[in-house]
Amino acid sequence: MGRVAEAIATLFFLVTLTFLLAHAVPDGPAYAILGLKISPERLNALNTQFGLDAPLWRQYATWLWHLLHGNLGFSYLQTRPVAAVIGAYAGRTVVLYTVATALAAVAAIGFGWLHGVFYRSWPGRVCSGIELFLYAMPGFFIATVLGMVFGSWLHVLPACGMADLHQAAPGLADRMAHMVLPASSMALFVTPWLARIFAQGVHEEFSRDYVRTARARGVGFGSILLRHVTPNAIRPMVTMLGLSLPAIFSGNVVVESVFDYPGIGWLLWRSAVAHDYPVLVGIVLVLGVATMLGNLAADLVNAWLDPRVTYAE
Amino acid sequence: MGQTLTLSNVGVALQRGGRQVPVVENISLSLAAGETLAIVGESGSGKTTTALAIPGLLPEGATVSGQILLQGQDLRRLAQRALRKLCGARIGMVFQDPLAALNPTMRVGAQITEAIRLHLGLSRRAAWARAVELLNEVGIEGAAARAADYPHMFSGGMRQRVMIAAALACDPILLIADEPTSGLDADLKEQIFTLLARLRADRRLAVLLISHDMSLVARHADRASVFYAGRCVETGPAASMLRSPRHRYTCALLRAAPRLGGGVPAAIRGAMPEPEAFAASCRFAPRCDHAQAECVATAPALTAAPDDEGHIAACFYPATTPVAGMHVPSAAAPSPALSGESLRVEGLTVRYRRGYRSGTARVAVQDVSFQMAPGECLGVVGASGSGKTSLAHAIVHMVPYEGRVLFRGEPLSTLRGAALRRMQLVFQNPAASLDPIQTAGAAIEEALELGGLRDRRQRRARATALLEQVGLANSLLDRLPGTLSGGQAQRVAIARALAAEPALLVLDEPTASLDVSTAAGLLTLLRDLAVRLGVGYIVITHDVAVASVLAHRVAVMQNGRLVEIRNNVPS
Repeated sequence: MGRVAEAIATLFFLVTLTFLLAHAVPDGPAYAILGLKISPERLNALNTQFGLDAPLWRQYATWLWHLLHGNLGFSYLQTRPVAAVIGAYAGRTVVLYTVATALAAVAAIGFGWLHGVFYRSWPGRVCSGIELFLYAMPGFFIATVLGMVFGSWLHVLPACGMADLHQAAPGLADRMAHMVLPASSMALFVTPWLARIFAQGVHEEFSRDYVRTARARGVGFGSILLRHVTPNAIRPMVTMLGLSLPAIFSGNVVVESVFDYPGIGWLLWRSAVAHDYPVLVGIVLVLGVATMLGNLAADLVNAWLDPRVTYAE
Repeated sequence: MGQTLTLSNVGVALQRGGRQVPVVENISLSLAAGETLAIVGESGSGKTTTALAIPGLLPEGATVSGQILLQGQDLRRLAQRALRKLCGARIGMVFQDPLAALNPTMRVGAQITEAIRLHLGLSRRAAWARAVELLNEVGIEGAAARAADYPHMFSGGMRQRVMIAAALACDPILLIADEPTSGLDADLKEQIFTLLARLRADRRLAVLLISHDMSLVARHADRASVFYAGRCVETGPAASMLRSPRHRYTCALLRAAPRLGGGVPAAIRGAMPEPEAFAASCRFAPRCDHAQAECVATAPALTAAPDDEGHIAACFYPATTPVAGMHVPSAAAPSPALSGESLRVEGLTVRYRRGYRSGTARVAVQDVSFQMAPGECLGVVGASGSGKTSLAHAIVHMVPYEGRVLFRGEPLSTLRGAALRRMQLVFQNPAASLDPIQTAGAAIEEALELGGLRDRRQRRARATALLEQVGLANSLLDRLPGTLSGGQAQRVAIARALAAEPALLVLDEPTASLDVSTAAGLLTLLRDLAVRLGVGYIVITHDVAVASVLAHRVAVMQNGRLVEIRNNVPS
């Protein structure tokens, strides 16, 4: 119960802040809809129509009232309910997100094994160097470089959109091909430090007493790594993965913008530029809920991985 | 033949600071089926290194020389793979601290079946049935259900039983037990040893027991080897070794162990050398009261004593009188006229809530009442979980409690600042209770500053005096805790507590983390300080002998209740 109340309070604070910040930006959606050269009369007419001429507190109260009734509002730009807009875009991002997170986890585990097992010898140092190099790269740079190399120069992978628009009915293979570059870019943002955390865990777990016990039992190196060390070393990484959902998302905004992939990140970017407040605040709300669910999922996975962890409730 | 295990001239060099440093040399032992051989020594003596060399479990970079024969087969000549086939199958190992030595995220049953499936190739189901059988054999009740539990769900003693079951899973012929009972209280120690004795007899096991506790060894081992600084200095029948030790180190070690009614334990001066500083001559000579020129020049060989069976010692001037005669006659417990009242505890109860916002509570201490006179030393003894540490923490106001605690006539809850500081607490593990980035001097000076000593030079001088009082040189003032030995760190912690000029010092297991000879030094110091400064102690310990060295009265805790408070009979 305490946890749910806490989450609701946090969400309330989050959306209020976003609402105020979005409205603090000068100009408004009218310019985005009708262009910069509109006459003051038309501007006022549109603002009246949207209710934007009311005092800010009334706009906020109205919006909050609607939110309590499950109504996220209406998009100025797309003339559709916000829920419908987000719903249309979110599915694509969830798919992209899942693929990217899975890629990141697999890469981090592979890298972390190599790095953790050879922590103090040269393979470990090489891993460490690669991790630091990738970690230091800005996200938009990685995405742009990948797009340039594989899309523009080598022409092996599509670097734009989520399907080939020349085809009448793009198949699954086409959609997957379009996902390779955005997903890898997103994975590359988080893999380096997930790998580092996992490698650290592997290195530390190897020095624990229970590893010596397993060796005394005659267990070989491979089994020690897979059966004993990995389940114990992976827990900090799972926690970090849960906590890094927002970080992955900010990478997602960049990636979807660079690759023109019509997901939530892309929508957030477009809505921010066009001052589409209801969509903007709606996305933040959805992200807030997603982040909390992500953390909860990480906690649950950890509780499953570590029998010592229990949540009293 | 007939020997299960034979070590001849075994030496081990470990990689330390980029070079090979010999830490164990010239060890020869033999162990027959159904026999228990104990290796006794303090930390740094090389006993664990020797034990780990047998199954080849030493850290990378270690080199082993000599011959290690398991039923005539030289383990050193085996390939890694072949050796691994023996580990867990022919050789079972039990380590100290089973909470750390068992995988926390694996069911205990799975940890037992691991070796069974690996070496005996049983099916999952058959292996599990065998695991349950083994848990039964080591005395775990409801074994079938408990096999699916995780290590943290067992108590300390039960966990060690699980460890033993896992080690015996494939019917080994040799069981190596490295300090199997450290951290357990006296009752559990006895239970584990009784279990080991039964298993040894039932299975004709050869048991190699590593321990630092001479009296345990004397009762539970057939023969014992005493290790000092990487060498075996004495070997013989365990019981006769306790009665009439030959090597001067063995004698000193026996005198250093606190014993009930045994008077003041005698500290051994100095410290065991680091492997880098191992001498070619007798390594105990610098600390030995009987050393002559010869001892510093050459190393004595292990030679048989004229009288008894297989008792050999490496000493030029071995002891000839039994140890009982050598014990320091006890100065009677310091008894200043104890009158008045320093501490009064009435109906003290400590409850811990179970979990967050949960209604139920665990009662750790229930309705405890006693009084103490100024300068009195009270020993509080009890098994682990008896509530003795909770009692101590309540008395120094560290945990919430019900009931009344009056310190020098005032309720503790109303005391603030200086008055409260007249009561000090010293923790069990000094290395963990000192700030690792604060020098010893700074730690003491901080306490002095809190006491209102503003002048920096005066603080420094006072800190030096306090260090001297606890028997440490002022050169330690600028050392960080990490560079201090366990005994030194505990003395710094005591000096810090003394900086507040306490009337009452609460000591929580002050010697539990220390070696025997170091602990003896600390006990002597504490006794000395009590007489000189008139400070009173509450000594929390699971070792009745430790309490008997320091205390005027001994209080016995059981299941959170004070069941008995008796005068300590001075010996």
